[in-house]
Amino acid sequence: MVLRARGIWKSYNGRTVLVDVDVEARRGELAAIIGPNGAGKTTLLRILAGLEPPDRGTVEAYGRVLLVFQENLLLPWRRLRDNILLGLRYHKVPPGKRLERLRRVAELLGITEHLDKYPGEVSGGTARKAAIARMLVLEPDVLLLDEPLAGLDAGSRRSLLEALRSLARQGRAIIVVDHSLSDVASYADVVYVLSQAPGRVIARLELRGLAAGERVRLLYEAMFRASQVNAV
Amino acid sequence: MHLLYPRAVPDVASTLVFLAHEGAWRILYESSVTLARTLTGFAAALAAAVLLGFLYTLSPLARETIRAMNTILQSISVLIWIVVLVMLFGVLSPIPPVLVATVVALPILLSAIVSGLDNANPRLIELARMLGAPRTRLYWDFLLPSLLPQLAGAGRAALGAALRISVVAEAFGSGSGIGYMINYYYEYSMPRGVFAWGLLLVTLMILLDKVVLEKLEARIRRWATLPPR
Repeated sequence: MVLRARGIWKSYNGRTVLVDVDVEARRGELAAIIGPNGAGKTTLLRILAGLEPPDRGTVEAYGRVLLVFQENLLLPWRRLRDNILLGLRYHKVPPGKRLERLRRVAELLGITEHLDKYPGEVSGGTARKAAIARMLVLEPDVLLLDEPLAGLDAGSRRSLLEALRSLARQGRAIIVVDHSLSDVASYADVVYVLSQAPGRVIARLELRGLAAGERVRLLYEAMFRASQVNAV
Repeated sequence: MHLLYPRAVPDVASTLVFLAHEGAWRILYESSVTLARTLTGFAAALAAAVLLGFLYTLSPLARETIRAMNTILQSISVLIWIVVLVMLFGVLSPIPPVLVATVVALPILLSAIVSGLDNANPRLIELARMLGAPRTRLYWDFLLPSLLPQLAGAGRAALGAALRISVVAEAFGSGSGIGYMINYYYEYSMPRGVFAWGLLLVTLMILLDKVVLEKLEARIRRWATLPPR
């Protein structure tokens, strides 16, 4: 267990967003969080990343937790290489090690040939991968991704999913917020299903070892229930 | 005497002839002096605005102080600056036109930086935190470059204002520059000279804006604009 959130509650301006949410992340596990629009998925990720405190509940992290934002937020005035190396400079990683990590992560994500380009010169898929690479070079124990596949073409989705699976196999815990049930069915080991707002975990689905059809059926059933259930 | 000026407004052709008689070297020298003073003052203002922007991010006290300072700078008439600076540095000193350009450009640039910092993309700040950026790097690596498009627009306006006002300072107390030439011909009641050098100033400003600043601003905008939130 590298990350455990227990009994998370969150409100904004008197509007409850999350209700008593429990989430766990384990090494080597690719988890997904799904739920209707406004269920508080992004808020939950931000709380898990430590960007916002919960009103109630606890988040215990045993290692570095990093979040890849939905917007890539690559700095347009820096080449992809410099965007990716930025965090390593702040962590005072020796230059030799920085380049080694950059090479490894760029190879894993298949962006080596684009490293000398500016963000404006690459496709959305490459930019998304560069944003993920920027966090990966910091060697997080838990990587949180907010809709990483949104807006990508089929080829980019496939290669990014493959990279995420590979990262999980390397022992990282990965939590992805996703809207596409078919994508989630194809990659997730575990799925947390949030109800419609205010979000509450109405199901934790263990998909490992299930046939593809069974995974999809479980997810659609859970999402149907999620749209019916109101947490309060 | 009251009939002198209405009749003395020269036509364009005679103005151009007058300017031609001034000689290329004279025109080049006086224009260069004015431009150099303006650019020096502008560079000083830019450096000060960028540095003040950095201080602005450090503490709420610094933020309030800089806001108050900017309000005061904006409230002081250029005439006061010119008269005080000429009294301080002397009539023939090259310093007043430079400093006047600085005090004119500074509030324009500082306002752009302060407004940009107040409206900075909060995700950018969170990203910097997540990457482990120390507080000092947040400004230099993330916020300031993200403000460049706004700063480029403000810089264009500030440089134009600085050029317009520094010639006034030259007219008040200086021995060279376009402003000095305009004042020289005014004092000798030679409207053709006033118009000739005025025309030169306007041409210089248009050229500077269209040929240099407009292109520079477009280039910076393309280079540094973040995708919309």
